[in-house]
Amino acid sequence: MNLLLRLLVYVPVLFLIALVVVGQQHVTARETVRDAGRRTVRWLGYTAAIVAVMLAIEFVFID
Amino acid sequence: MTTATAATGKAAQRAAMGLGWGTFFCGFLPGLLQYRLGQRSRAAVALGTCTLLFFMGWVFVRDRLFGFALLSPDDGGRAAGRFGWVWPTLAKMGLPLTLPELLNLPAHALGSILSFDDSPSGQRLWRLPRRMEDLGGFLTAASGMLAAFWSADGHFGMRWQRDASEQTPPPPCSPALACGLSWLLPGLGHALAGQRGKGLLMGLAVAAVFAIGMVAGEGHAVDRAIAPVWWIGQSLFGGGALFAALITAPIAMGPSFPENLELGTNLCTVAGLMNLVVMVDAFTVAERVSFPLRAAAVAK
Repeated sequence: MNLLLRLLVYVPVLFLIALVVVGQQHVTARETVRDAGRRTVRWLGYTAAIVAVMLAIEFVFID
Repeated sequence: MTTATAATGKAAQRAAMGLGWGTFFCGFLPGLLQYRLGQRSRAAVALGTCTLLFFMGWVFVRDRLFGFALLSPDDGGRAAGRFGWVWPTLAKMGLPLTLPELLNLPAHALGSILSFDDSPSGQRLWRLPRRMEDLGGFLTAASGMLAAFWSADGHFGMRWQRDASEQTPPPPCSPALACGLSWLLPGLGHALAGQRGKGLLMGLAVAAVFAIGMVAGEGHAVDRAIAPVWWIGQSLFGGGALFAALITAPIAMGPSFPENLELGTNLCTVAGLMNLVVMVDAFTVAERVSFPLRAAAVAK
């Protein structure tokens, strides 16, 4: 349950952080939202890659 | 190269340069930059407001501020091993590592010299809660932030004096004011600087992350007494930190910590760091009306 809660929090928070980060490069809200969506998807990809690497390290060195 | 082109290139190169370390360090003394600019009454107002705000909070917290320091004068000493004498000596000289109060150097130094006692009973007192310490801690921190905004105002003034010509358009509002208002209410600085929609969006993003953090921490995610180091980041969202200091932090915690307290503390700190980006962007949006980025690009 706790893990599910954290995942439910993670994705929207990632989008909100992306709004602020990409907002610096835009003038209007519309452009910012569009770019933030793309940036969130990219960051989710990075997250998945990092989690996969961590699981692989756990599998190789700990299990 | 013609003389005119060379002159333009030189001006652009100068505009891309910073103002130097001297100007940077002058920013730690509220009003000194305004004084150097010849704005004596503004300099007095800067020094007066920062000092007044600090001591309005200091009467509640006094030596408790040492307990809020990034490296406590005794803990930091132990952690630093043979360099352990550094932190108590700095504290004795009025320079404990308390942030953001340190940005308001003179008032903070005076307050620290007046209250420093490194005897064992004095050290015990740093750790004891005080009445109204949440509000007091917020006010002393706000004085540090105010000093930073006055410094930003002075920096813009110095830059205006150095780089502006008769054709330079004035900014829609003072960049430092845009920055300071964004500290209290994220996005308000952007609205003043002419980017209302983007400001509203960025402000809502900061407020939403802060609210999620507060809910996750069941109202105890922003409390300087519980997590003073995390609070340094959280205080970068002044409106949120003020809300917590007035409403949620004074409420006593139950017998056990909330289950997701660390998640809430993290999220509120993230919200503060997001607001730092919003504040810097608000300053930049206002500043670039007068000094567009083109000047730096030309110099490169």
